Amino acid sequence: MSKIHFYDRRFGYLFVSPAVIILSIVILAPITIAIITSFYDYTLINRTLDSFVGLRNYFESVSNEKFIHSAIVTIVFVILVVLFEFIIGFLIAILLNQVERFRNIYYFILLIPLLINPIVVGLIWRMFLHPQLGILNYLISLVGIDPINWLGDPQNAFITIIFVDIWHQVSFMIILLLAGLASIPEEPYEAARVDGANAFQQFRDITLPYMRPVIIITLLIRLIFALKTYDLIYIMTKGGPGDATDLISYYIYRSAFIGLDLGQAASMSVILLLIVCLIIYPLFKFMNRADE
Amino acid sequence: MNSKHIQLIGVTKNFGKNTVVNNISFEIADNEFFVLLGPSGCGKSTTLRMIAGLEDISEGKIISNGVDITEEDPKDRNMAFVFQNYALYPHMDVRKNLSYSLKLKKVEKSKINQKIEWVSNLLKINELLDRKPSQLSGGQRQRVALGRSLVREPNAFLLDEPLSNLDAQLRVEMRQELTLLQKDLSKTFIYVTHDQVEAMTMASRICIMNHGEVLQIGKPQEVYDKPNSIFVAKFLANPVNNILKSKIIKKDDSLWIESLNIFINNQNLNNLSEIYFSIRPENLKLNNHDQSYNFEVKIIQIENHGHELLISAQLEFDKQVIYFRTTKDKSFMIGEKIKLYFHIKDLLFFDMITERIIT
Repeated sequence: MSKIHFYDRRFGYLFVSPAVIILSIVILAPITIAIITSFYDYTLINRTLDSFVGLRNYFESVSNEKFIHSAIVTIVFVILVVLFEFIIGFLIAILLNQVERFRNIYYFILLIPLLINPIVVGLIWRMFLHPQLGILNYLISLVGIDPINWLGDPQNAFITIIFVDIWHQVSFMIILLLAGLASIPEEPYEAARVDGANAFQQFRDITLPYMRPVIIITLLIRLIFALKTYDLIYIMTKGGPGDATDLISYYIYRSAFIGLDLGQAASMSVILLLIVCLIIYPLFKFMNRADE
Repeated sequence: MNSKHIQLIGVTKNFGKNTVVNNISFEIADNEFFVLLGPSGCGKSTTLRMIAGLEDISEGKIISNGVDITEEDPKDRNMAFVFQNYALYPHMDVRKNLSYSLKLKKVEKSKINQKIEWVSNLLKINELLDRKPSQLSGGQRQRVALGRSLVREPNAFLLDEPLSNLDAQLRVEMRQELTLLQKDLSKTFIYVTHDQVEAMTMASRICIMNHGEVLQIGKPQEVYDKPNSIFVAKFLANPVNNILKSKIIKKDDSLWIESLNIFINNQNLNNLSEIYFSIRPENLKLNNHDQSYNFEVKIIQIENHGHELLISAQLEFDKQVIYFRTTKDKSFMIGEKIKLYFHIKDLLFFDMITERIIT
């Protein structure tokens, strides 16, 4: 390495250092502490009273039925949410891609849910869905349907949470997929039309291959975010009724701050972190490949 | 002319309030190499896309082999389209690009392979079959795009500025190849270009368009020698044509062309006081010919093109600039006064207002 090269490098480090320092304090340090905590029986009284327990917290976590239950609920939730958001999002993106007038207005309307804080989304929907006072039950009563206990019944609650999450997050899919669709050139479609491809064949042979990178990235990002869904549950169901909507992030929160079993909760967080890392890894690899 | 293959009758295309193609009609014969030539935005590409069915027609009809195809889908017209930027399917290798249309038609696999072999031999792209379009050069992509249209064995090939993205050397080669290909296949080619050299060298007939209208249709040499308007005279010129103005003054039986200071006899100019006239640079000679006219100029600039000189000079009378070409062995001085000779048949007159030729 030449001398100038070395100075350039140092200059570069200087520029990224503020970000690195701040990120270390707010992210790296808590993660490190959480990992350390996960190996201890954490007492909350005095750190000197904590006893090192090795992997015991982990063994307990993976044999904890409630943790397994919330993991399964989370997996079902994530799969359903991402799948529906993707299908609905892709359909709307394809339709919007053909719109020319007022396109920006549609964009703006679509962006609104994304701009609302999840807590606020939860509050709004809790009001809409209120069994006695909610507008939704009022509206369906107009067409003669009996009121539905949206969040009070275990099965309803799970589906309702999925619906609200889709309402909140589908715009994210639409906007990313729409950007991808808009970047596909027109000519291959025209060539395919001359070659005799129908609408479905054009979609399969041109749109999908072109969209592959966008689809992969969109799905992975949504997957990671869906995995750590917490705020919606906190506001709308508190994991209930029973444990019907007890998503993993919320279960960890309860173990830590209601059950006060911090060591145990930390081990569960680390397991979740490992799973997220496992999902991020292909995304990372893919993005690096796209750079080349 | 052989049987009519493709006919356009009063075809018009509006985009919103803009009329990009305005009521054009022409006929293309079987096996013709028909070139649509014009500056960008003249409607030539839109015309081609309407023939292909990629663009709806606002008014008028398109007839192919006696059948009205105005409303037909592109795939049912039995025409192949070659796009300016090739429009290959980027995620398919060359073989798949070539075979896509056949697969959609559910052609047997052995037959597909046969056709691919035929096309790849014809276009010399055998080695490229397993490559993706991104791994090909511009010229190779061009060949694949051509190949993709060939495998379908269409009745007509529609080519939209297919050579404009290639470098000059390759363009010359492809020009010859395309001409040969068209002869071999004996199929109708409709070829859009803004390059008058391509039009002159390849076409069996040229159709010159401007502002969405057809100005002139004819064999290349006809159109070159007898442009019907100033636009055509200017557009079909390499590198330039001389379009100048002059007053006409009647003296006894003949007319005096003031700018050139010559007397001619032309009944058609009798009632006019001013005209445009054109004379191509290559028709201006330094030596006296039989029955030739001459005028005097002063040389103002000499451009050496390697194989010849292009010289700009001022008319003695009113200082209008006129170009002429001469062999490179001649030597001139700037400011030198010389005489230029020409044959009267090469001098064309155009109306001042309509800019149409006066014959």
